[in-house]
Formats: sequence, structure tokens, C-alpha cells
Amino acid sequence: MAVSIDPIHQFELQPLVSLGHIGNQQLAFTQSALYMFAAVGIIALLTIVATSGRSVVPGRLQALAETLYEFIADTVHQATGADGKRFLPLVFSLFMFVLILNLLGMIPYAFAVTSHLIVTFGLALVVILTVVIYGVAKHGTHFLGVFVPSGVPKPLLLIMVPIEIVSFLSRPISLSVRLFANILAGHIALKIFAFFVVQLLVAGAWGVLSPLPLALTIALTALEFLVAALQAYVFATLTAVYLADALHPGH
Amino acid sequence: MSGDPSGKGSGPEKAPADGDLSARLKRLETQLEGKRPSAASDRPARTGTSGGAAPLGQAMRLSTEFIAGVIAGGILGYIVDHLFGTKPWGMIVLLMLGFVTGIYNVMRVSGFSGKKN
Repeated sequence: MAVSIDPIHQFELQPLVSLGHIGNQQLAFTQSALYMFAAVGIIALLTIVATSGRSVVPGRLQALAETLYEFIADTVHQATGADGKRFLPLVFSLFMFVLILNLLGMIPYAFAVTSHLIVTFGLALVVILTVVIYGVAKHGTHFLGVFVPSGVPKPLLLIMVPIEIVSFLSRPISLSVRLFANILAGHIALKIFAFFVVQLLVAGAWGVLSPLPLALTIALTALEFLVAALQAYVFATLTAVYLADALHPGH
Repeated sequence: MSGDPSGKGSGPEKAPADGDLSARLKRLETQLEGKRPSAASDRPARTGTSGGAAPLGQAMRLSTEFIAGVIAGGILGYIVDHLFGTKPWGMIVLLMLGFVTGIYNVMRVSGFSGKKN
């Protein structure tokens, strides 16, 4: 009856190799880092090895890699126009990284790296810093035109410019919180509903009801796969949209 | 940053210029156009809001765009209060500004304000 559950336990970092200390903070190679290296390995395998044949009629893996590439190339082209092509490597890398990490997290007993806010915020910072640095380098002070919406009467600018500034600052927050919250909430929900099955089974006659949460868990698993792919897509699209601002700051 | 990321190109491996790359792609496109029966015509049609993952992705954005505005306002308010010692006022004003920004963000994502961003 009294089986305890800790749905947060799956997100705990486990240091694998300790690298020393800074103050009281341990520096360690955690399982999170291991999963990131694994993701990079899988991506390299998929994009480099699978396409190394360069056959005209692609095999399965090559077709997969080409589909993903074309999908992101399309997205970037739609958001940024012709001169956004230089950002395609960045957007594609971010998309693949997030996608593979999300999908790796869906494997039972695996660790979901993107459920940590600091990881997603780091990725979002890469995007925003690219926008700011590239925008300032290319347009100089003209880049500040991002904060001045066009077609707005002069007196209204007094209100609109602060709003646009806060809006710009909210971008890395929304970019990172969305990904992190979706993955975290999804994994916790899965864990809790799956645990209901166990709890009902050990509660005697109530065990008759246990197929209900089981069905829900299966449905949630499907939903989580959708969320995993969709969040990677949303991350990539928004990256492209924000980069469009760096290319054309005047709205 | 400007190399051919797909690794499919058989041209020079050392980072062709952007203009060169797009010129090659355009040439390829016109060549393909002639051989393709009708698939080319539906390409530009799916730039809008219809079909695929785009609307779902947009729906996912709405809630966090709002929350992010409020959080950004709150953080800014905290920083301003900390720097200038204007204890409650920076937080009050900027939290309200963040709230307005959140609603503005949602309006922009849902297309109310006319421009898509």
C-alpha cells in the first residue's frame, strides 16, 4: 500500500567522473553531459556517415537526413529570406540537438537533458547573442530599429519602445522556458500516471481499475513523442524568426 | 558559417561565398523546374498558416510568450530596484510593463496586431 514515489528523482544529476571543485561546488562529468555527447554522436552519424554515400537514390538513413535538412532549410528560407542562408548551419544544429535530446529522453530509464532549464537557457542565449552580435556588427546603431515598430504614431512610441524592449528581453526566457517546461511536465505526468497503475494493483480490489491509468499512460507517451518533435521544431522556427530581426532590423 | 552544411555539394569544399551558393542553387532550381511535371506550383502555397506543424507550434507558443513577458518585467524590475535603490517602484512599474508586453506578445503571435513575428 505504502509505495512511495518521487517523480522528480529522474531529473537528478549524477556525477560520473569528478573533475575537482570550485569552492563548494563540485565540477563533474554528469550523465547529462554524457547524453549530450551521445546526441552529438548520433547527429554526426546521421548527417555525415549516412550521407557519405551521396547516392542519387538515397537509402533509408540518407533519405531521413535529407528530409530533416530540407525541412529546416525550408523553414529558415521562409522566415529569413534568401540572405538567411548563412544561418542555416546554426539553426539546423540547434534543431537536431534539441530533437535528438528530446527523443533520447523518451527512452525508458533515460535522462531528459532538455528538462533542465540551464541547458535550454544556454541554447537560447546562443541564439539571442548571435542575433545581437550579428545585428550590431552588420547594422551598427541601426540595429536599434528593432525596438521601434513601424507605422506607429509618434506619441505612442513613448509606450511602444519600452514594451518592445521588454519583449525583446523576454525572448530568451520564452524560448528556454517553453522547451524546459514541456519536457519536464511531460515526464513528471508520465511518471505519476504510470505509478497509479502500480498503486491500484497493490490496493486489492481496486486493481480492477488499473487499466485506466495504463491506457492514459500509453496515450501520454504518444503525446510526449509529438511534443518532443514539436518543441524542437518550434525552437528552430523561433530561432529563424529572431535571426530575421538581425538581418532586417527595421521590421 | 557559410559552408554547404549538407555535405552533398560536389563543388569546392572550402566555404563558397553565399552569392556563389545561391547562384548555383538557383541554376539547379531552374534546371529542375523543366523536368518536374507539376510539383513546383504548390511550393509557395504552403507558406501561410495552413497545414502541418506550423499551427500546432503557434498554439504551443501562446502561453509561454505571455509568461515570459511577465517574468522579463519582474527580473528587470528587480535589477532596477537593486541598482537604484527605488525599492518597490521599479518592480511595480516594470511588472505592469511586463504584463502589457505579455499581452502584446500573445497578440503578435496570434496575428491580432497585423504583423507576424
